[in-house]
Amino acid sequence: MTAYRLTEQMWADHLAEVIRDFSVFAPIKKENSTDFEEITDKKLGSIYYGGNTPTTPLKAFFFPIKENVTTTNQTQPRILIGVPNCDLTALVLLDNIYLGGDLKDEYYQDNRDRTIIFGKDCDTIKESCHCTAYSIKPYSEKNCDISMSVSDGYFYLSPMSEKGEKYLDKFKFNQLEALDSLPEKVIQNRETMLANLQKQNIDIPDEIASRKGIEKENKVLWKKHATTCVSCGACSMICPTCHCFLLIDRKDFEKVKNWDVCQLPDFSRVAAGEDPLEKLYERLKYRYLCKFAYKPDMFNALACTGCGRCIDTCIGKINKNVVIIEACQ
Amino acid sequence: MQEKNIYKPIKAKLTKVIEESPMIKTFVLVPDEEFSFKTGQFIEVTVENVGEAPFTPSSSPLETKQLEITVMKAGYVTEEMHKMEPGQYMGIRGPFGRGYPLDEFTDKEVLILGGGCGFAPIRSLLYNLKAISDQVRKVTLCYGSKSPVDCIYKPYIQELRDTPKFEVYRSVDKADETWEEKVGVVTVLLDDVKVDIPNSVVVVCGPPIMMKFGTKKLLEMGYPEDKIYLSMEKNMSCGVGKCGHCEMGNYFVCKDGPVFTYNEIKDSPNIWM
Repeated sequence: MTAYRLTEQMWADHLAEVIRDFSVFAPIKKENSTDFEEITDKKLGSIYYGGNTPTTPLKAFFFPIKENVTTTNQTQPRILIGVPNCDLTALVLLDNIYLGGDLKDEYYQDNRDRTIIFGKDCDTIKESCHCTAYSIKPYSEKNCDISMSVSDGYFYLSPMSEKGEKYLDKFKFNQLEALDSLPEKVIQNRETMLANLQKQNIDIPDEIASRKGIEKENKVLWKKHATTCVSCGACSMICPTCHCFLLIDRKDFEKVKNWDVCQLPDFSRVAAGEDPLEKLYERLKYRYLCKFAYKPDMFNALACTGCGRCIDTCIGKINKNVVIIEACQ
Repeated sequence: MQEKNIYKPIKAKLTKVIEESPMIKTFVLVPDEEFSFKTGQFIEVTVENVGEAPFTPSSSPLETKQLEITVMKAGYVTEEMHKMEPGQYMGIRGPFGRGYPLDEFTDKEVLILGGGCGFAPIRSLLYNLKAISDQVRKVTLCYGSKSPVDCIYKPYIQELRDTPKFEVYRSVDKADETWEEKVGVVTVLLDDVKVDIPNSVVVVCGPPIMMKFGTKKLLEMGYPEDKIYLSMEKNMSCGVGKCGHCEMGNYFVCKDGPVFTYNEIKDSPNIWM
């Protein structure tokens, strides 16, 4: 993998330059988490390049919580820094859904087109991280434009797409000496993270075994876990692959695309009143089937990338991995 | 990339409202722009500032200047529609999905089983079949309603009865003194029809419970699973396979349907809800 090495100063100068033309978003450290924020001059020094998953899933940049889809599309170019690989992998499914087939979502397309994504290397693991259960690595090798590794005061940039190549070309980074591979220390960190995650996730069934367990008729299991579910929908709202929305109507035939999720009541109710997901435990099971059976079949892509956000956020303390382990027993 | 924004409706002027039954009205719409559809495809209809709902046009796909939707008052969007008057505008998007595969009906008898407002897509199909009646052997309509007052398209029923190659059988769940046809759920009509099953296809459209028992009976009669065409109903928002509402196992009903053969969906979850 070709990499270009930048000093801290070079990268800082670059950021100071690009924030004039791009909106730049990057993780900022909070008390117990990190989350994306728009980077202004004052925040340039506060970007947190390490850690794991920022609270906000990547999808929110391409599929915003609310978006008017009948007015002019946004055109402001953007740079996203510090995107973990679980979120990058989720883009495979989202791209398939929104951009596949004959009818494309031009708002999603424009949001993708105007964004340069920098993937990152995770350097910490939270308890709920389980990307490796589905053979996803804690560093980016594809699905982004530029892979970024930070080590010993240097920034290593590797192009991962044509858009990434063009970016590096535009800012003349490709005139720097090209390294044939990342330095040993970066590789070592990647391998350590991978090994630690694999160790942490040793008991979590992979996507194939998970599917088998979930597809079993086991009403008792779903009813048991549904007892603490309050149908808040947070697990799905915060999921990097959940793509569902509802079009809300406004004056002048304008429509606003709003996040909507299958865990909320009435998601699938038809006007005459029938609702295949009326019962809470049915909705809970549906979510797992959608992730491990329906979406992989329809789009040949993973619909759970092991980011662990649904586990972190559930106020009913439903641990998706515990549910799946029990389903597989 | 397609030229059109998939979410933006075009305006369509409401030119006529026909009261079909106490709960069902037909709206005649003249789109501001050229608009055509294939029979069985659906459109998303917007009531400005209220909401949007999917409907399969009930008019002939060969009529390009205007289209009709037949709407039962059932939810907040349809309730607002029922208040609308000629001169007002609705929004329409589409057409979406896969309609009836008329090529598969060539040289076949077509049996149609419909219930309630499920007659709407069927009427569009009937208009189309009449236009190509030299290509089909026979068309048999079995249509069920709750009561005589709920029967829709009354003038059209008479027109069909006078059309060569078309037969009409009707039933109501509950009759009154004016009713001279069959009494019972729509499947009882299947006992009366004469169809050459090996040379026929069957189309089913109606409320989920009717679709379920109708399909069951057709299978018992010997119809092959891949000759039973079902027009599926699901909650839909976008109409283009993005919003996820109509997911039915490995299908998005809006994009992959709404017309499916029973064979295609028999293993999908919640097909009858």
